Amino acid sequence: MNIIALVKQTPDTAQLSAAMDGLMLSADGGPRIVNPWDEYTLETALQAREEHGGKVTALCLGPPEAADALKTALAMGVDEAVLVSDPAMADSDSLASARILVAAIRKIGDFDLIVGGRAAIDGNTAATAVQVAALLGIPLVSYVAKLRNLDPSDRTVTAVRLLEKARETVTSRLPALITVVKEINEPRYPSLIGIRKAARADIPVWGCEDLGLDPSGVGAGASGVVWRTELPPVREAHIEMIDGGPEDAARTLVDRLMEEKVI
Amino acid sequence: MLTPYEKILFAILAAVSLYLASVTFRRMIRTIKRGRGRLAWDGLPGRLLTGIKALAGQNNMIRNRPLVSLAHTGIAWGFILYMAVNLVDVLEGMVTGFVFLEHAAAGQAYRLLVDLMTLAALAGMAALLIRRFIVKSTDLAVAPNVKLHPRAADGIRRDSLIVGCFILGHVGFRLLGASFDIAIHGPDPWQPVAALAAGLWTGLAPSFLDFGLHASWWIAIGLVLAFLPWFPFSKHAHLFMGPFNLMTAPERTSPGTLDVLDFEDESIEQFGAGRITDLDRTHITDAFACIMCNRCQDACPAYATGKELSPAALEVNKRYHLRNHMKSLATGGEDTEPMLGYAMSESALWACTACGACTEACPVGNEPMFDILAMRRNQVLMESAFPNELKGAFTGIERNGNPWQMAGDRMEWTESLDFKVSTVAEHPDYDVLFWVGCAGAFDPGARDTARSIATVLHRAGVDFAVLGNDESCTGDLARRAGNEYLFSISAEGNIETLNAAGAGRKKIVTGCPHCLHTLGNEYGALGGRYEVMHHTQLIGELAKAGRLALPGRDGTRTTYHDPCYLGRHGGVYEAPRQALAATRPSLVEMARNRNRSFCCGAGGAQVWKEEEEGREAVSDHRFLEAWETGADTLAVGCPFCARMMNDANKRAGEPMRVRDIAEIVAESIQDEQQRERERERHDDR
Repeated sequence: MNIIALVKQTPDTAQLSAAMDGLMLSADGGPRIVNPWDEYTLETALQAREEHGGKVTALCLGPPEAADALKTALAMGVDEAVLVSDPAMADSDSLASARILVAAIRKIGDFDLIVGGRAAIDGNTAATAVQVAALLGIPLVSYVAKLRNLDPSDRTVTAVRLLEKARETVTSRLPALITVVKEINEPRYPSLIGIRKAARADIPVWGCEDLGLDPSGVGAGASGVVWRTELPPVREAHIEMIDGGPEDAARTLVDRLMEEKVI
Repeated sequence: MLTPYEKILFAILAAVSLYLASVTFRRMIRTIKRGRGRLAWDGLPGRLLTGIKALAGQNNMIRNRPLVSLAHTGIAWGFILYMAVNLVDVLEGMVTGFVFLEHAAAGQAYRLLVDLMTLAALAGMAALLIRRFIVKSTDLAVAPNVKLHPRAADGIRRDSLIVGCFILGHVGFRLLGASFDIAIHGPDPWQPVAALAAGLWTGLAPSFLDFGLHASWWIAIGLVLAFLPWFPFSKHAHLFMGPFNLMTAPERTSPGTLDVLDFEDESIEQFGAGRITDLDRTHITDAFACIMCNRCQDACPAYATGKELSPAALEVNKRYHLRNHMKSLATGGEDTEPMLGYAMSESALWACTACGACTEACPVGNEPMFDILAMRRNQVLMESAFPNELKGAFTGIERNGNPWQMAGDRMEWTESLDFKVSTVAEHPDYDVLFWVGCAGAFDPGARDTARSIATVLHRAGVDFAVLGNDESCTGDLARRAGNEYLFSISAEGNIETLNAAGAGRKKIVTGCPHCLHTLGNEYGALGGRYEVMHHTQLIGELAKAGRLALPGRDGTRTTYHDPCYLGRHGGVYEAPRQALAATRPSLVEMARNRNRSFCCGAGGAQVWKEEEEGREAVSDHRFLEAWETGADTLAVGCPFCARMMNDANKRAGEPMRVRDIAEIVAESIQDEQQRERERERHDDR
């Protein structure tokens, strides 16, 4: 079973600070991490391989530094990693990104399943994977919280989708693209042997030329979305400590909350 | 004494016994050599002295279980003497007409000594057999939830019975032999016990007495010949493997300092211990040195609170595994059985608090804690299988430089102080570097302690600076949790920071014993050598130098909880008490204090995960002990002890006040300043 895992490198949004260049990846823009949702992507792909055999290829679109995210993927245990990177691709919106990814997926070749995270924590559009599926013309099963049955011989996948007020069980033919939510599994911590293997690995980098893409068809120029990012305004906070025993404190708290019209 | 035929027979039997012993002992040695590294032999005279001292002094024993230790001392000293006695007896048997120092005063002293020590050994052995088989002391049992090798429970009983009978038989028949000798050759006032036994034989025919003399000799010496090749299969091997283990113990900067792993060497494919052969040789030796007395188990906080861990069971299980596979291991056979299975359960592995009480308690120098941490390394580095909660702490250290995964400012704790705390960048000419630690920077309770330490230093006029946001987790929790790789990365980063800050030429003071241990005892192996002290040491010095305005006695009853990484691992017991004594002289000790202190339950990365299942929380167990002293204040010296004791205090309905020594001292200084001001106001009027 050949699986492609879509991985993005994002800033660590838990550590956003004024020192950072907005949400963009910049050399001094704070720590960069594997998009947290994609940790579940990788775990899903690895578990599927462990059950059914085959190989997992991690695919990442981003600047050259994004190779670090692929190193993490390799350390976790993926078989191969490909970085798609080209200065012309900078500032692609989700549709342009999807076009690039589709070209790369076609170049990788045979696949049975593509896995992605529900969204990337930087752009948070949750659109790229959807657009990849549409461009490839394969079924999309999004927000997967559980892979109930993945059957390579029958060429079907049955998955439970986590919706706002329900769980929906869907069966799709393969190949398909699924996006996963964090309820699906517990991502593994890379073993040292994995880290060493990853450190030795040579990650191929594909640019527009390798993918047969016209540079004018990707990047900011080919994108409908224009990025303008700013940090959220600092909120004025006022801290008030309430003294007294639990009952008195609770009473005072309720009074204060009602005064402030919070409740 | 022996007839020519007997002499020939003895020579043959002795040769057979020695040959078989050489086979089994070689097997044991080769099994030990399957381990990693080398046994330490450098400075041999000193090491020999260590072994002899342990054997002759029995001082490792007497610290715990005094009565049992007394019985053991009788046997041990009897046995040491019997090494000479057996030689003399063989010579007397083999050389016709030879009697050792027959008429000399030294001979009389020798016979008296042997006679009395024979009694001591017999009485001691009888006492221990009664304790095991009649009284059935619970000290010798292992709780049913602890994994024990299927053959161990019966095996230990059988082994103990064999050893007991061997000692009673060997020493007993030697005594009977002496009594027959007296019955034949006339009374000897220098052998009162044997003379008393000789009374049994009055009126018996000389031929019977002669037969008795020979039979006793044969049984006494024959038992030694029979037992000699059996030693490597019996826990009784402890009598020489114990001292051997103490002699060959590696030099460590503290009893808990772990060895570094070489991550650069690409040829190394196993990190930590998955199989028993992955252990260091000294830790395979541990299993042969173990007498299965369970003293480590008595001291273990995990065991005391009903977890699946018993350090004793670990050594027993190792020994039974080795015993069953010794032949194969000695000849280079592969061991395929993972230790996590027969040696201990997964829950037991993650229940260890790395407090070091087991290594402290062991009379033969065993270090079960090191096996556990080696197995954790295997779980994390090789298998990536560890309690899920630890992942958050690891990720926090990796990304945020602290296990809390806090992205905040490491200087925030200083904001409410009425003086400025400078960073090294602002004030490079500092005298003392205050290593705040992640707890001091982020944990609300520990921030109070950090502020108290800063206040005390400030009031005493100590010129200090902090690293601020350049400081990062020392990696202690990663190391104790088995993530040596993360530890090495953390350590390298911090060493670079510390060296850039010139800390190698200054004094470092820290409020956290875990930071203290890591910076002071563990970074050295990675190239970072610093003079590090605990804040209570510095406070003690300042108080002694009169640099702190401390009021007199205030009468509050206080008990002090020794943190494992300050006490057992750091060897600092008196400084915190002295610092405390400067403010509150009414100090009451808990039953388990200093090197016998009982862990708060946080160490060994426990504070970053759920406590393993057991009867009670380690912290509650310790808190109860503190509470029972009748003290109203529980003084601590570690942010993690503080947190555990605070939580336990809350669960108990807050009967005590839990405070770090720094807080107590700072409060005291403030009180004094208050009084000073009042006095001044009074004088003005």
